[in-house]
Amino acid sequence: MFKNVLSRLVTETVRVHRNVKHAPLIPTITSARVSVRSFTDVKDEVQPPFDSSLLEFLVCPLSKKPLRYDANTNELINEELGIAYPIVDGIPNMIPQEARLLQKGADSSNTPAQ
Amino acid sequence: MAASMRLLARRVLRLSNRNVTASAAGVSCPSCRCYSDAAEDRSTHFGFETVPEEEKAKRVYKVFENVAEKYDVMNDAMSLGVHRLWKDMLLHVMHPQPGARLLDVAGGTGDIAFRFRDYIHSQQERQKRRAVRSSQSLSWQDISNKYPSEDRPHESMAVVCDINKEMLNVGKKRADRMGITSGLSWVVGDAEELPFDDDQFDIYTIAFGIRNVTHVDQALQEALRVLKPGGRFMCLEFSKVTNPVLASLYDAYSFQVIPVLGEVIAGDWKSYQYLVESIRKFPDQEEFKGMIEDAGFYCVRYYNLTGGVVALHSGFKL
Repeated sequence: MFKNVLSRLVTETVRVHRNVKHAPLIPTITSARVSVRSFTDVKDEVQPPFDSSLLEFLVCPLSKKPLRYDANTNELINEELGIAYPIVDGIPNMIPQEARLLQKGADSSNTPAQ
Repeated sequence: MAASMRLLARRVLRLSNRNVTASAAGVSCPSCRCYSDAAEDRSTHFGFETVPEEEKAKRVYKVFENVAEKYDVMNDAMSLGVHRLWKDMLLHVMHPQPGARLLDVAGGTGDIAFRFRDYIHSQQERQKRRAVRSSQSLSWQDISNKYPSEDRPHESMAVVCDINKEMLNVGKKRADRMGITSGLSWVVGDAEELPFDDDQFDIYTIAFGIRNVTHVDQALQEALRVLKPGGRFMCLEFSKVTNPVLASLYDAYSFQVIPVLGEVIAGDWKSYQYLVESIRKFPDQEEFKGMIEDAGFYCVRYYNLTGGVVALHSGFKL
């Protein structure tokens, strides 16, 4: 009986984690510095905050121009070329092939004056 | 409507620019076309196999995606822990001082970055102790508390860049477990097209990663670009063993033992077969030194470790 309870506990927690991971992400900017998360499994709905101190020397690999951090979509945007690099788990993905092409006016939150 | 037109216009411009440069490059058009076709068919080595260039990057990615979780364990098993000594040697030769900025390319699980941080901390302790040694009456702890923290232009910082997300995730988890909050960043990027501005880093390291890059010369060019003038390029890589007896022992070990270990520990024979084959295909110490010099580095030299099993190449951007 104890074994049953234990196995159910394990599977239930696994299911909870899996569901929690797939929940819609609510990005929040807490502070400039990345905070250490001791309970890494618990708060999985929120993306770990992106360390904006990286922006000082991070540039677009194609044009070598600085990027703009968009907190809503959690991406790094190159206005000139109209591409957005995703940030996954607090790690920016700067591979050109993985960048998303921006459709003007559709996805990006604050479109500059056209 | 205007927005989509602009996007279209931009795409057309980009394409036309490409056409213009292509035609400008080869004035005689027929030969120019043959040239571009030849470029597509250009192949490179993937271990002992010959594969088209685009293939290599994909296959290397798969190899490291498969081994990411067991990477550190396998390193210890295959090298019998000696890889730690090689990396310690890299740090010892590097001798970074507080305030230095490191870019560790193909840094994956972060071995070099962690060592860099530890080395800097011990250097800071040493500096504090040296500054305090002159005063005799008070205990060194009281005196060091009186001294304001060193005003450096910026704190030392390490950036780990790797093309493989899985490896970086493993590294980031290690950092979180160690409780590291600042001074360490993780970026997914391509060594041949680094997402960093010019003249940014004091030290560029690539440990056991450059043989997996498709275009080594491009990676070296990028290294030169992101380093500050006076910056140092350091590369740890497997190389040619000079002693013939040791060489035959090493070959036997590489081809008989390592893939078996790979299968037993990581459940992946092929990846480790690739690993030992790619070591054989990489240029030797002198040739690689020449490549680094061609990229524009000065004072290039190499240190042989463990009889040439591993070579540490170093060059400066002047």
